[in-house]
Amino acid sequence: MQGLSSMLAKGMQETLYMVLWSTLLAYAMGLPLGVVLVVTDKNGLRPMRALNTTLGIVINLLRSVPFLILLIALIPVTRAIVGKMVGSTATIVPLTVSAAPFIARLVESSLKEVDAGVIEAARSMGSSPMQIIMKVLLPEARPSLLLGAAIAITTILGYSAMAGIVGGGGLGDIAIRYGYHRYQRDTMLITVALLVVVVQVFQEVGTRIAKKIDKRL
Amino acid sequence: MNDAANQILNHDIYDGKAILSLRGLSMRYGAGTPVLEDIDLDIAPGEVFGLIGKSGAGKSTLVRCVNYLLRPTAGDVIFEGKALSSLTNAQLYKARQRMGMIFQQFNLLMQRSVMGNVLFPMEIARWKKADAVGRARELLDLVKLSDKAEAYPSQLSGGQRQRVAIARALALSPRVLLCDEATSALDPETTRGILALLRDINQRLGITILVITHEMPVVESVCHRVAILDESKIAEIGAVGEIFANPRTDATRALVQSSAVAERLLRMIEAKGLTPQEVLRRAGVI
Repeated sequence: MQGLSSMLAKGMQETLYMVLWSTLLAYAMGLPLGVVLVVTDKNGLRPMRALNTTLGIVINLLRSVPFLILLIALIPVTRAIVGKMVGSTATIVPLTVSAAPFIARLVESSLKEVDAGVIEAARSMGSSPMQIIMKVLLPEARPSLLLGAAIAITTILGYSAMAGIVGGGGLGDIAIRYGYHRYQRDTMLITVALLVVVVQVFQEVGTRIAKKIDKRL
Repeated sequence: MNDAANQILNHDIYDGKAILSLRGLSMRYGAGTPVLEDIDLDIAPGEVFGLIGKSGAGKSTLVRCVNYLLRPTAGDVIFEGKALSSLTNAQLYKARQRMGMIFQQFNLLMQRSVMGNVLFPMEIARWKKADAVGRARELLDLVKLSDKAEAYPSQLSGGQRQRVAIARALALSPRVLLCDEATSALDPETTRGILALLRDINQRLGITILVITHEMPVVESVCHRVAILDESKIAEIGAVGEIFANPRTDATRALVQSSAVAERLLRMIEAKGLTPQEVLRRAGVI
């Protein structure tokens, strides 16, 4: 029992490590990409058809590759960046690459909710496109962006469990190795229950903060 | 009204001292039929100029061409002696800071407090924070919302929201204030309050105001001169009293007539103490 709980604690730690870093890095890429999608849209602040279309296609392509395939296809890239291809740190690379385009779409949809009239008002006051992005689009979309982040983080958590298949570590790894391959049903159930709890917590916290910071009542 | 405005009252086309001029302005979306055709207009410093027309006449498009939120497909907008088409983007942003604008739907930043909204244009113009806060307090005082500085727009009534929008539009001391159907979403009493505020701003601060509306009473209450926009062209232009007393075109006559009917109905409602719903029910409309 001592062994199981310390194993689960380590798994939890690895899962959080993978998920939080992947989310952070994926946002570092996905957030600017989402902004570019909105700004270069034909009704955006700086319509650029070629760029918008190309970016849209690339994002759709990446999103249509199954995560498991991406995980394996990216092994050379992972090895080049991290220096190895198994373990939690190595899993961050495919997780990030897989989540970034998804996040770009989440961000795009949040920013498109911002009232066009408010953007027009900001333009009428002499705001530059950059000022509109930083002072209108992102702050006005903040509650919606936060809800999107809760969706992103729980999705990445789901993907991180799949990483267990290639020895990625974390709770998913434990569930597959002990629960599935060694028929330890209890271990599997406990692990899955833990994953359920983590998802619930992230979702609930995200929803609550989003509600709290939203000034629209 | 100042001398320049008085002088301009007697001319359809102004002699060069206009603060804002439209020259041969035309606008069409894509390959569609033109929304505006060859509009010439001169607005004198210090006057309140009304632009009235039915919905679909091109009023909203015209006011957006004035500050280049929409780029006209032909013609020029001349503001303070400079053609907007000749400006770089950075110069255009500066020019827009000298033209405030308010809207039918107020368009406040919903995630910012009242204070934050009034500070917004000063942040855009990169004012020092302390100066901006001082100026914002002055403006909130002007629109009588000092006690609501920390409130959020969602907590305010329509009239209060429009007052915040007016304070925000005045923050950078614009020469011209553009009002796009600014009272159309408000009830008659709130409308009167906002119009009184606009008159006050015009008289006390000398700001030129361009009022876009489809409501005759708005024009009669605040405007010195008026232009009637009909089917993408200016049908008539002149002093408000004169235009409404002696309409020369069908478009103006139709406007005056519908307004007179509405006014008579309103008086009946007030005299008999009926609610608008009751009147509509009796007339068989609902």
